[in-house]
Amino acid sequence: MSLTRFSRLAVNFCITLGLWAYFTLGYLLLMFVLFIPCYLRLKAGDAVLQKLFHVHLKIFFVLVGFMSPGVRFAVSEDVRRLRSSIIVCNHLSYLDPILLVSLFPRQTTIVKNTFFSVPIFGWFLRKAGYVPSSPTEMYGPAMINHLESIKRQLAAGGNLFVFPEGTRGREGRLAPFNRGVFSIARYCNTGLKLVLIRNTDRLFRPGSFSFDTRGEFTVSMEWIGSLTENDLKNSSISAAADQARTLFERKIRETQTGGDAQE
Amino acid sequence: MTRQEIEKEIRAIFLREFEVENPEPDVNLRDAYGFDSIDAIELLMEIEKVLGTELTQAEKKKAMDIRTLNQIIDYVQILADCRQTESEKN
Repeated sequence: MSLTRFSRLAVNFCITLGLWAYFTLGYLLLMFVLFIPCYLRLKAGDAVLQKLFHVHLKIFFVLVGFMSPGVRFAVSEDVRRLRSSIIVCNHLSYLDPILLVSLFPRQTTIVKNTFFSVPIFGWFLRKAGYVPSSPTEMYGPAMINHLESIKRQLAAGGNLFVFPEGTRGREGRLAPFNRGVFSIARYCNTGLKLVLIRNTDRLFRPGSFSFDTRGEFTVSMEWIGSLTENDLKNSSISAAADQARTLFERKIRETQTGGDAQE
Repeated sequence: MTRQEIEKEIRAIFLREFEVENPEPDVNLRDAYGFDSIDAIELLMEIEKVLGTELTQAEKKKAMDIRTLNQIIDYVQILADCRQTESEKN
């Protein structure tokens, strides 16, 4: 292993440790120090927690940007301005959901059930009004409670963001879309905003421990289209999922072709 | 609405929305046809169209425990009867 490569790995490793230390301790300390007084004083505990998550993760990405001088973040203004929306994204990296939380002060999402069993963190997730994806939570009357809670959050200006692939895609390929979010949108009488995420998998590669803080690339989020409430009403759920997937595939192809041409 | 009319509507919904042709009346829809919670939500929205009114949260929650076609028909019939009684009162 060359010295340059070794020093790059060592730098990445140390920065990663620092970032994850901030991430974890931030939840433990900041949340306890700030959340409990806020929670005791205000009734809307979920909104307070979402705002705290947002601030905490915004700082996290400021640190990521500071520690990764070659990495640029480009989030289009129309994505930043989204409110009361159901946002559908492709899923590349564990960073995707936390990047979205860092963008929106009020936000909710559907979270893998395993996270809810993590001590403290799981409790925070539940208190913040995030929705567990487990079959027991999404079946029976609990499902209606979750859908009504999403409806309330949208009405209050919050966003629901969902990764219909369910899991991270590999090598730029989209996994099949689950139908859940399309049905949720119909239930909430709203449309869907489609947002393409790029390069979070370069910043934090799936299967890797470390951030790539020495790379030079742009992490971007771009609004690529919408499915309106009427689009969803006038087509089957499967057709709507196919339509959304086609839009993502087209845009991914375009960006790959553009990238090749530039290279 | 008569029970026969409701059954016809529900079977049509199953065929159109879930591509299930002639579901057995008493089998567990989840086990037999892979009918999941997302399908249940879709079915609720279709039932609202059939009834011409929105369902209350309590009515929706009640529906989420339904497992068979016959139970769906019973459920819709009760709702249809309730709404008819209410409209007669008004």
